[in-house]
Amino acid sequence: MLRLRGLKWHVMSWSILRSTTREITKLSHHMPKAMSPSCRALKKTHQSLFRTSAQCFPPPLFGEQRAFYSQDSSKTPNSGSSARIKLRTRLFVTLLFGGSIIGTWWYVYQEKEQRIQMQRLEQLKKVAVGQGDFHLLDHTGQRRIKRDFLGHWVLLYFGFTHCPDICPDELDKMTNVVRILDKDPSLPPVQPLFITVDPERDDVAAMAKYVKDFHPRLVGLTGTAEEVMHAGRDYRVYASAGPKDEDGDYIVDHTIIIYLVNPDGLFLDYYNRMKNDAQIVESIRDHMKKYVKLFPD
Amino acid sequence: MSAPNASERKACWSARDELWKCLDVHKDNSSACEKYQQEFEDKCPALWVKYFIKRRDFLKYKDKIQKEGFEPTEGASKL
Repeated sequence: MLRLRGLKWHVMSWSILRSTTREITKLSHHMPKAMSPSCRALKKTHQSLFRTSAQCFPPPLFGEQRAFYSQDSSKTPNSGSSARIKLRTRLFVTLLFGGSIIGTWWYVYQEKEQRIQMQRLEQLKKVAVGQGDFHLLDHTGQRRIKRDFLGHWVLLYFGFTHCPDICPDELDKMTNVVRILDKDPSLPPVQPLFITVDPERDDVAAMAKYVKDFHPRLVGLTGTAEEVMHAGRDYRVYASAGPKDEDGDYIVDHTIIIYLVNPDGLFLDYYNRMKNDAQIVESIRDHMKKYVKLFPD
Repeated sequence: MSAPNASERKACWSARDELWKCLDVHKDNSSACEKYQQEFEDKCPALWVKYFIKRRDFLKYKDKIQKEGFEPTEGASKL
């Protein structure tokens, strides 16, 4: 395809040449029966630019060239100036041709990058994490569905309020990450979400009490056992309540992961306990930059 | 019983840390750390006490494996 484009451009440059040389041929007095240069060279666009353009000059010009190179005393001042004009034209055409090749290459390269990005998105969609919708209640008692959060970057964490140390740690980390990202005005705000895996104990009041200790924008989500299980299943979250002790207290074993969801609601990345807040910030920033490139509006 | 809030959590964690520091110094001789043990059990919900005891055991086991290596069980060596 690159070759065809080169051909098209070369045909254009040929026509420029033709019009320029029509005047020049009137000046020329020597018109040898030069062989018509085969423009088979056109097909070999990867040859050097100068050679290609030189080979496709029409016959009269070819004769002119010979006159130029032979340094004949019969060279008239007229043909000298026309040779200079020819040089300028040749230079111009070469630059045009070169520029068009570079332009074509750049365009094709951009297309390829775009295609790779699209392929990756398709793969992520196939993984189908977080594809479904969720119907939950936030910690103010308002009903929230997944669509409410479209258009925002979301950091999602599943946990429960009776968690001894892990959930507070992870939520602190998430709070820090959002705080650091907030400081950068060029980035869109990130919405942190906390969904409970313990709907029995974590009702709206418990969630309200819990999220107070973290980022002010943190939204806690809860609901009936059915709704929570549905949301957890969407994100392939494992959750299993342990045995109850004498106080009726129990620990819920669950996946300890922070999910990153983009404004289209597509799951992009996840962060486990090993990633610290600086690493997560870097990763999110990277995703945001890539996202803007793909969907400029 | 509602979950502990942030300040209660912090109090529990610092009591736990004190206890663990004491146990490290006294080589897990729990009788020497009675005071910290008592405080730890006061500050933390019963379930958390059990959880943190198990956690400590796990952390020590993990440490041991990382430092001293391990012996594979008999079944595994039959490969």
